[in-house]
Amino acid sequence: MRLPLPPNPLKRGEASVPNWLGAPIKALGPGSVSSVLKVVLDVAYILLWLITGILLLLVIAAIFIPLDNVNITVSGDSGGKQLPLTRTLLLFGLGAATAYFGGFMLILRSLRRIIRTLTMGDPFQPDNVRRLRQIGLTLAVVTGGVWVAQGFVAKRLAPGVMDPQGFGELLTPIFSVLIVFVLAEVFREGARLRRESELTI
Amino acid sequence: MPIRVQLDRVLVERRMSLTELADRVGVTVANLSILKTGKARAVRFSTLDALCRELDCQPGDLLAHEPGPGDTIEDDGEA
Repeated sequence: MRLPLPPNPLKRGEASVPNWLGAPIKALGPGSVSSVLKVVLDVAYILLWLITGILLLLVIAAIFIPLDNVNITVSGDSGGKQLPLTRTLLLFGLGAATAYFGGFMLILRSLRRIIRTLTMGDPFQPDNVRRLRQIGLTLAVVTGGVWVAQGFVAKRLAPGVMDPQGFGELLTPIFSVLIVFVLAEVFREGARLRRESELTI
Repeated sequence: MPIRVQLDRVLVERRMSLTELADRVGVTVANLSILKTGKARAVRFSTLDALCRELDCQPGDLLAHEPGPGDTIEDDGEA
């Protein structure tokens, strides 16, 4: 004897999303929105990986290349300022750029793994909670780092040329990080419900 | 879990194997095993109905309540 299954017109992983043409498109599973997103993320990840790698090589090269009589111009709305390019300054700039792109590469790596679980139709896994928390933390470090670095440039390296950073500019990143952490909690609840469902016979 | 599933005892009394019961009830052996070992969180009425029908017993023959420290629903060891 077989237990009757509840009527469900959609298979697992085939949640329908209305599109502009009126026909439902798949949100999960192969050939769905998430698999298109996966391709986009794959391309972006490879690009970021290349950029970070090149920047890392430049950081190593910057330790050895001679920097005699090289100047850089820091320009802003109110004009520009000539600065001698010291090794510390070069390493700071390249290091900051490497950390920036590296941070986004880490975020994309976690995002790709989340999308991979989505394309398989099973996104509510405890691993995804951890990944979302990692994304939130990395986003906080990267955006906070950008804020600190811009403030440092505005105050120390080019005072009067660049405007100093205000706390108002931190609002958007803080909201983004909060949204990611809230999403992580939503996924945690989803993972708990999935576990409950698995253990309901 | 204060609720204990006494499926193994009933199966011995009926001289029925877990595989045979799984086949009759339409639940996988893995799921019945989860039920038998007490790892299940909940039992659907439909499953209970099928089990009682095939084993010719009452729900009370399959389930027993043992007072003691029970784990909460939230405590599932995951983060």
